[in-house]
Amino acid sequence: MLSRTEQLDLADLAIRLARQMGADYADVRIGRTWTEYLLAREHRLEECNQQSELGLGLRILLKHSWGFAASQRPDRDAVSRCVDRAIDNARAVCPIQARAIVLEEIPVHEAEWIMPLGIDPFSVSADIKAEKLIAINAAALGAGADFCTSSFLFTRDERLFASSRGSRIFQARTRSFPSFEVTAVDRQSGAFASRASLAPARAAGFDYVISCDLVAEAALATEQARQKLRAQSVRPGQYDLVIDPTNLWLTIHETVGHSTELDRVLGWEANFAGTSFVKPEGLNRLRFGSPLMTILADRSQDGGLASVAFDDDGVGCAAAEFPIIENGILRNFQMALGQAGSIGLERSNGCAYAARPTDFPIQRMPNISLKPNPSPCSLNELFAGVDHGLYIVGSGSWSIDQQRDNFQFSGQLFYEIKNGRLGQMLRDVAYQGRTLDFWNAMDGLGDASTYFLGGSFYCGKGEPVQLAPVSHGAVPARFRGATVLNTASQDI
Amino acid sequence: MLLSADEVKAIADRVLVRSGADACTISMRGGEETTLRFARNSATTNASIGSVQVTVDSHIGARTGSVTLTSLDEAALAEAIARSEDIARRLPVNPEYMAPLGPQSYEAAATYEGLRTAADATPLAEAAATVIRLGGERNVDVSGNAMAGCGFAAMATSAGLFAYDRHGKAALTVTARNAADSWSGWAGASDASFPRIDAARIGIRAAEKAHHDVPPVDLEPGRYTVILEPAAVAELMSFMLWAMDARSAEEGRSFLARKGGGTKLGERLFDAKITVSSDPADPVIPGPVFGRDGLPHRRSIWIDHGIVRTLFRSRYWAARTGETPIPPPHGFAIAGGNVSIDEMIKSTKRGLLVTRFWYTNLVDPQTLVVTGLTRDGNFFIENGRIVAPARNLRFNESAVALFGRVAALGSTERVWWEANGGGGICAPPLLAEEFTFSSKSSGI
Repeated sequence: MLSRTEQLDLADLAIRLARQMGADYADVRIGRTWTEYLLAREHRLEECNQQSELGLGLRILLKHSWGFAASQRPDRDAVSRCVDRAIDNARAVCPIQARAIVLEEIPVHEAEWIMPLGIDPFSVSADIKAEKLIAINAAALGAGADFCTSSFLFTRDERLFASSRGSRIFQARTRSFPSFEVTAVDRQSGAFASRASLAPARAAGFDYVISCDLVAEAALATEQARQKLRAQSVRPGQYDLVIDPTNLWLTIHETVGHSTELDRVLGWEANFAGTSFVKPEGLNRLRFGSPLMTILADRSQDGGLASVAFDDDGVGCAAAEFPIIENGILRNFQMALGQAGSIGLERSNGCAYAARPTDFPIQRMPNISLKPNPSPCSLNELFAGVDHGLYIVGSGSWSIDQQRDNFQFSGQLFYEIKNGRLGQMLRDVAYQGRTLDFWNAMDGLGDASTYFLGGSFYCGKGEPVQLAPVSHGAVPARFRGATVLNTASQDI
Repeated sequence: MLLSADEVKAIADRVLVRSGADACTISMRGGEETTLRFARNSATTNASIGSVQVTVDSHIGARTGSVTLTSLDEAALAEAIARSEDIARRLPVNPEYMAPLGPQSYEAAATYEGLRTAADATPLAEAAATVIRLGGERNVDVSGNAMAGCGFAAMATSAGLFAYDRHGKAALTVTARNAADSWSGWAGASDASFPRIDAARIGIRAAEKAHHDVPPVDLEPGRYTVILEPAAVAELMSFMLWAMDARSAEEGRSFLARKGGGTKLGERLFDAKITVSSDPADPVIPGPVFGRDGLPHRRSIWIDHGIVRTLFRSRYWAARTGETPIPPPHGFAIAGGNVSIDEMIKSTKRGLLVTRFWYTNLVDPQTLVVTGLTRDGNFFIENGRIVAPARNLRFNESAVALFGRVAALGSTERVWWEANGGGGICAPPLLAEEFTFSSKSSGI
């Protein structure tokens, strides 16, 4: 365990050595991540693991080339080796540095930010957690589920950022993710159906887990899984959709969140996650969606998985809120250090993240959310405007193309909407669309009373892949004329 | 951090001696890795890291507390032992608990020449320079990722099991885009060491797929004859292989569950040309000699000329059902055939040549319908020849159904794609009819 003084000493050493070796800029992340994971199946606890990972990652800029090296053993010897290796890496890539990396000036900060926390999940004994998971499963089995799997995942990051420009920033945050999945089996027909929990991951403590009341949801989910087995299979075709925020958050993530990442737009992620249909010249011009569509980026939303005071480039972002889409028009890209200048902008808007201190920080999403309708609009009012449609709840399968255009999403629960009213449950539903067509077809939006903060622990990007947690707030919304396919029959 | 078997055993023995539990399992892994990325002909990020991870599982009664740390410090290990024991004491009894295994007999581990700690970025940068030069000669922009490293995995138990494996790994992937940014191509490879990867061959292949100036043909959704290159085949087979778990099948919740009870083990579900196996001694994709719980990896034939021959099963489920425990595969090989891609093209009246898939995801676990899109090298075939690039399409296709109607297979080769177990994959190109493309994509 490193004390803060020891961390600062190592950071100072790393930066001093790097500068002595010729680095024009250096930054370092030192920290520890704690993780706890519990998994229960039916009446038993299958796994309970606590993990602690210490790390140091040094990034240097040498004549317009990055060099990065990391160690899980932050001591003076490791720092010295990391400096040597980072410098070597930068020298190795110099011959292929056709495009210089140029860093903009950003304010220097000496600061500390500790996420406000209710009940620290790491202070809650493993037996209490195990008991809660088994109770969730018992509720499902008692309600008639054949199988139930439940889990808790908790993480805590404590991290120092230090840069050669003088920033010294300590931050700490905690995240919690409770979940379950119930399965009902019909042995006669050979069919089985599952229903996963709707509670999202949050930047929050154990009090959030308690508030989710997964015991009650597990019983309800079981009833719904059984209904799915008997539900009618959807007829493929064109439908108006009312999408619940428990599903829509993921659509926002994939179609808006990823398509407006500047490194992707510039082609820097082409080899893995792809590029974007959005181009720099689309800024303030591209009609991304209907005038109802405003998408805001923030770092301050309570419970937001990406809420933090400073990003992993040391850019202050606690108070930063910017529109990505405003009344349907593209207004901003998400940027990390060294990117803004490529499109004639002044500086980063605080969107850098390294999954661990030992990872190279890359551009990642802040919280990205759909702004509610300023006028009153309930879920029932959205249904009322649909003659032939579907209501989709919860996240299921997801897929989108490498430029964020063609997508396909499934869900957990699907209901017919007929003549303005919610009808029978359906199954085997997925909706396909093209991003701009989809968002321009949005003609109904729930108000603030319908707001839900969804999110994921597992957004993947980069090579090697880094996972970033991110939250997306959403309200229910209505979309006209979407293509729905039947996933069981592959009918087009 | 690349530790030798002796170094690992010394650490494990110290931990086991200190353990106060009824039984104890130590798992360790680690390695060194350097990656280097480039995009649009210029270096972007790189990283070098050494890592090590130790997991202490303390078993008290039929309860297991587990602590993982990234330190070999004695005090940290002692604390991990104590904490894992404390966790175990607090947990409820696990009725499916299985005591750690004793000594096992393992196949001979593969040997890797020239495993180097602290992989150097210079050869990776030189490979990138080669690819960039070749791309420039063909008027395409290139992006890519080069990786080289080595690693080890080990397990020791208080019952006397000790298993150790080490491996080398390397990969190069290249995505090329034409000057108008209107078409793209991809190629990639993985191997045990970076010198074995032919960067020029990969760079040329990606560039030549991308080097098309005619607009891609817009095809309507529908069912098409497809020639899937090995990377695409490997990706679809992965979905199927990792669903071949005995317990899920016997519990009635997998594609292998039979109506009325029982499983489809022993049934011919696939075309007779399909044989899928795993072998830790495979010379092309050598794998670790041990798997979950320290169980030996042995040569396993999962699908034998279309027949579901073997399912993997946990030790608990094997004991309960009176079967042999089999760990999930680390990697796999699909046996090939003798029809070349050129011959497949010549035999195709109307269809698509698919380089690879993107963003595949399982849609229906009952039928193994998978969705995804084509990417980086889709070509329209008419009357036996490639006539033009074809705009990318989304597919929704059952992996089970696809491998049930294979028209031809080509020679199998090691692909870049990594198996769910982290191991290598060998796959052939595949010709099949009636592949379902459900919508168009503008994504290039």
